[in-house]
Amino acid sequence: MKSLRVLLISLCLSAVAFAGDHEFRGIVRSIETTYGVHHMHIPLLGVALFFARPAGAHGLRLALFEGFKTPTDSDNFCRVIESSLGPGWYPFVRVRSKGDASRETTLIYANPRSGSMRMMIVNLESSEAQVIEVSLRDRDIQKWLKEPGEEAKHQSSHHHEMD
Amino acid sequence: MRNIKRKLLSLVFLMLVSPLLRAQDFKLPVDVEKLSSTAKETVEVNMDGPMLRWASKFLSAEDADEQKAAKLVANLKSIYVRSFEFDKEDSYSSADVEALRSQFHTPVWSRVVGVRSERDGENVDVYFKLENEKMAGIVIIAAERKELTFVNIVGPIEVDQLADLGGEFGIPRLKTKPSSSNPVAKVEKGDHK
Repeated sequence: MKSLRVLLISLCLSAVAFAGDHEFRGIVRSIETTYGVHHMHIPLLGVALFFARPAGAHGLRLALFEGFKTPTDSDNFCRVIESSLGPGWYPFVRVRSKGDASRETTLIYANPRSGSMRMMIVNLESSEAQVIEVSLRDRDIQKWLKEPGEEAKHQSSHHHEMD
Repeated sequence: MRNIKRKLLSLVFLMLVSPLLRAQDFKLPVDVEKLSSTAKETVEVNMDGPMLRWASKFLSAEDADEQKAAKLVANLKSIYVRSFEFDKEDSYSSADVEALRSQFHTPVWSRVVGVRSERDGENVDVYFKLENEKMAGIVIIAAERKELTFVNIVGPIEVDQLADLGGEFGIPRLKTKPSSSNPVAKVEKGDHK
């Protein structure tokens, strides 16, 4: 009976995790199908992200694409990304920059929830792309906003200790 | 039957779209939108209702100034910023900017600030939207030789409250004179120089 309860709880938790994950997977899949690329498989990436994540950040997911032929139409790229995002996501920041030989597009979408903010960051460079999903807790953002200098020092010393 | 279905679909579409139209009752002219293809950098920042409410949470309830700022932000409908930066001077025409400005040459909008600098090539226009003698929005158009910036703040704002935003969200603290009973009344309507 106890094992059945544990199984039911595990199933419920995995369903919740999957619900939060489907937009990230959707974006990765849309990029793959639209531009004919595959994201890189990095062994133990999930474990590495769990231990190396910035303080206050959780639910960190990362997908990297290499050998990516930059789409000439960045508006179309935005549409591809936005079609994979469900309701509750807001386009927050969009930056498009152009150098002599390179182009870069950064898209940040936000999903405010009670107690935290989910962010989807998509960065497209001349031959690669990154998709990052992260959740930031309100209380940690508050700490950063109140004492940005102190928090930066704390973060930097924490990373030095890890090295 | 098909007609009813089409009408119902149109109604649903209008219901979905109308809040967006209310929040942003203007649009960037096509020629201005096209500038992103020639600009070295295009930055677009959007903060709609839920995002603004989320941001206002970070203003402390214990601090009186922050509480006032939170009240102002919580009432806003959206903040929209669009900025284009160019490699070369005169990458956009004055007609492009004029097409943008002309959208605010209507009775509800009043141009309250107009700066023209021949020496630096910096032109700034600030428009207030007035509804029932209350400010319902602010638009700032800043045109420099290599940069064009457009800011739109939608929602009820009082001039005194604007000063309360000083010191928050990176906005410098503003020095204000003692408040008058109706600060908006000082705005001259239709002052297009």
